[in-house]
Amino acid sequence: MQEIKASQYELYQQAAREYGAALGRLAYAYEADSDRRRDLLQEIHFALWRSFSNFNGRCSLRTWVYRLAHNVATSHVIRQRRRNAMTFLTLEEAEAEAPHEYVEASADQERARARLLALIQRLEPLDRQLMLAYLDGMEAEEISEITGLTAANVWTKIHRIKNVLSRRFHAGGQNGK
Amino acid sequence: MGSEPVTNYVKDLWQELSMDPVPFTPEQLRREEEKLRSRVRRRSLVGRGIGWLVVAAFTLYLFVFPNLLQRIGSLLSIAGVVYCLIQLRLQRPRPMPDAGETESIRFYRAELERLRDFHRGGWLWSRVIVLLPGPIIFMAGFARAYPNLGLGTFVWVNALVVFVGAVAVGVPLNLKLARQYQRRIDALDAWQRG
Repeated sequence: MQEIKASQYELYQQAAREYGAALGRLAYAYEADSDRRRDLLQEIHFALWRSFSNFNGRCSLRTWVYRLAHNVATSHVIRQRRRNAMTFLTLEEAEAEAPHEYVEASADQERARARLLALIQRLEPLDRQLMLAYLDGMEAEEISEITGLTAANVWTKIHRIKNVLSRRFHAGGQNGK
Repeated sequence: MGSEPVTNYVKDLWQELSMDPVPFTPEQLRREEEKLRSRVRRRSLVGRGIGWLVVAAFTLYLFVFPNLLQRIGSLLSIAGVVYCLIQLRLQRPRPMPDAGETESIRFYRAELERLRDFHRGGWLWSRVIVLLPGPIIFMAGFARAYPNLGLGTFVWVNALVVFVGAVAVGVPLNLKLARQYQRRIDALDAWQRG
């Protein structure tokens, strides 16, 4: 059995410490079923640890972690789609789609969060990735580095994301809280 | 009202989704590694096992049945199964360790292309060409070797079923899947252009 290398494990620990919560949310975004979600999260953590034997420092740790996690999750979505013939929405379709319900988010945070998850889980993998990166507070340049899209293109997509969100959610009050 | 307050609110909502960021311990990683290895071993054992079982059966037929057509059919069937086993091995999903280096679009596109190519073109037709003749020739040889069993019609009906099943159903199904993957690749290109 392969030995656990100290530097590889240290990098993994650092990544898990700094981005563990984001990885957990990412698993939520890619898998609605709780058992399969746990498996996906384990798969991501494990792939992450394995990947650090190849980490070359040419990109930031955050970029590496997000690329790897989304690529693992995308493979998961492709496998699920092959099994269940699922169809997903693009951002453009989500933008054009009339929301079934306009959520007064301040009234019920859990309900609003459930609506947000339901929306994210219906998106095409790459649109989903953009949405998550945006929600996690990433800058356009970093999203561009992770996805391979041009920064200008990322800006266009972010504009769409904002439209989609503002059509579906009502912040309530002047400050959005 | 502008979209910023709403999107900031949704960002907060998302980031407050509570998650337990506990990393795996080295012991857990070792266990996961072992689990992964045995899962891969098990999966490839089942796939390869069935393949090698067919190879073993036709190898046995090669020696048991004296008829030339049956032997040719057995040999072609063995070659067909071995070819498919090699093809499945070559078309395995890409390993994950380099996924951290690969931009998401390139990764997704490569996955879609791999799946599309498995279901069309050379990969598909070579499976059909290599797999079909063996069993049909074998069955024809069987009917010829034992004319007193009156299997002539039975054999040709079976051969026809194999042929119709594989070509008339399997091929269009594969091509349909390939077209679906191609549409997604086209959509990805359009998406990339914005």
